[in-house]
Amino acid sequence: MTEGKFTLTRRTLLGAAAGGAALSFAPGLIRHAAAASKEFRIGVFVPLSGPASLFGPGNRAAAELGADEANKKGGILGRQIKLYVADAGGPPADTAKSAVRMMLEDDIDLAIGSHDSATMEALVSTFKGKIPYVYTPVYQGDECAFNVYCLGETPAQQVGPGLKWLTEKKHAKTYYLIGDDYVWPRKTNEAAKKFIAEDGGKVIGEEYVPFGAPNKFEQSVTRIKGAKPDVVLITLVGADNVNFNRTFAGFGLDKSMTRFSLLLEAHTLEGIGAEASKDLYSCMDYFAEINTPDNEAFKKAYFAKFGAKAPLLSDIGVDTYAGINFAKALVDKVGSTNGHKCMKASEGLRFMTASGPAVMHGRQVTKTMYLADCNGGKFHIVDTFKNVKAGTVCKV
Amino acid sequence: MSPIFLTQAINVVYGVSTLAVLVLGLAVIFGLLGVLNIAHGEFVMVGAYCAWVVTADGLPFLLAVPLALVICGLLGWVVERILIRPLYRRPFDTLVATWGLSLLLRKTAEAIFGRGFRDVAIPLPGTWHFFGVEYPTYRLVLIGFCIVVLAALFLWYGNSRTGMRIRAMVGNSDLAQAQGIGVKRLATGTFVVGTVLAGLGGVMVAPLVPVQPFMGLDYVLRAFFVLVVGGLGSVLGVLAGAGAIGGLDSIVSAAINGTYGYFTVLVVAILFLWLRPRGIFAHN
Repeated sequence: MTEGKFTLTRRTLLGAAAGGAALSFAPGLIRHAAAASKEFRIGVFVPLSGPASLFGPGNRAAAELGADEANKKGGILGRQIKLYVADAGGPPADTAKSAVRMMLEDDIDLAIGSHDSATMEALVSTFKGKIPYVYTPVYQGDECAFNVYCLGETPAQQVGPGLKWLTEKKHAKTYYLIGDDYVWPRKTNEAAKKFIAEDGGKVIGEEYVPFGAPNKFEQSVTRIKGAKPDVVLITLVGADNVNFNRTFAGFGLDKSMTRFSLLLEAHTLEGIGAEASKDLYSCMDYFAEINTPDNEAFKKAYFAKFGAKAPLLSDIGVDTYAGINFAKALVDKVGSTNGHKCMKASEGLRFMTASGPAVMHGRQVTKTMYLADCNGGKFHIVDTFKNVKAGTVCKV
Repeated sequence: MSPIFLTQAINVVYGVSTLAVLVLGLAVIFGLLGVLNIAHGEFVMVGAYCAWVVTADGLPFLLAVPLALVICGLLGWVVERILIRPLYRRPFDTLVATWGLSLLLRKTAEAIFGRGFRDVAIPLPGTWHFFGVEYPTYRLVLIGFCIVVLAALFLWYGNSRTGMRIRAMVGNSDLAQAQGIGVKRLATGTFVVGTVLAGLGGVMVAPLVPVQPFMGLDYVLRAFFVLVVGGLGSVLGVLAGAGAIGGLDSIVSAAINGTYGYFTVLVVAILFLWLRPRGIFAHN
């Protein structure tokens, strides 16, 4: 009897404990079950802190615009899109933690990211292909992880057309390469050296400065002056890019040398300024100045939604708009977010970007590239290259 | 001497003299008051934004100098009275307090001006030709200006009555007070001089670099290295520190590249902290 009573007590205790545990999980379960039929949840990873936070507001705005438009067309799989925005401007490990939380608590169906490559690698190994991960900004190519889709410009797409144009129109023969010391500049310069050799040109100097250090450029500019290249190929980013170009023009080198910068978008050009932007070129898949009906329509919708205080339109910014459109096209076609099916369906998939339609091949994007002259601190489109291939082809 | 070599030599002089002036404010506050002002770079940033505000309104660049003096001076005064004064002789607390101040200033700049890069046009564009060298006019003028500022401060500190009072305060604060020297007011004044010098440095570099809320971080680190090498409490030490850090950085950057330049600076700073923590001029 006593024993029975004891057993009973223990059972009651265990039962109560289990019930309590179930109860504490219950709201989550109920919420998830209800949500699954309600909204399509997208995690958006953009830099909101740190030096790259310059791009965050634009990234966020473009994603919101994309989601609004997609929702008017019935959302994804008939479910309204809901965005979950996380900061990707801190250390990659922090962003990965946000990603884990989003997967477990917010139960996101898909992720879109516009951030540096180190963070991309951290997120790839966090998601492990369980949800489609759409990486949207300009990057170094060669990313082929399972269920990952890269929409940004690759080195082949930037330096290929850009260098060809410089060789033909500027009769460039000698090149000097300067960049920040991390993966994107080094990979981009590798690609550039191949193209330069193919075009019969020569690299006469190559140097890198520490990434994230307080760099000055008087010494580099003087060295470049001594080397006398036809073209300086710049893979510096952000403040370094601004600082270098201002120093370059300050020393009067802009009178005799052409500059081709590979991460030169609206924010950076604003910092370089009108005086320091003579004979300076950029090759990207988006500039606000692109004169296509699609871009006009995009800009109209963008400014209608965000008004006069809208974040500056930049290549890194509008990429998340393409990301949302791609996500809708992909998941609507497949009917689920299954990795194998999504990868198969991505081949030849057409979707809309801010500047016009693009097509996915080998989980990279074949796109139209634009070459801009930056004279006077404004982008002037001088040439357009259609159907430029990414150079990377991933298994589908 | 080839023109390129000569240009690199001028680059070294330019690097050292501008660095010395950018460090001066920190050296004054740290060396004389013992306050480790982590927000030093943010006062440089405030000075740079003064230059942007003035030129963006179409006013002459030189008006940025009085504007920066007033704004950085006022800011320095308020900060000393509210934040620093209760914390004298508590070095760790002032470090944390000024670190918080640096975050506040950075975020305030972000709220007012946004995160974007601001472009301040160079007030003296163009280059100057001499001995086959072509060097930017503004940078040459800046070298001259830096030398004047350093010399003026050196002479003033060594010869003026205020300089003598400050030295008395630094030597023995209680004794100085007993002699009728208003130590509190003197300390406030010294702090304000430090922040004003930082603001002046900001105006100076604004046309050369991207002006943005984070720019202060670029200056504070090098400034601390200079103090580590030069030691505290003398203009000569600042010059020696700036010469060692700025000079080595410029020379190695010119001879090899920027990565080795930065690497050398780090190694030298570590060696000094390890072997000569009181700086070049330390005896004992």
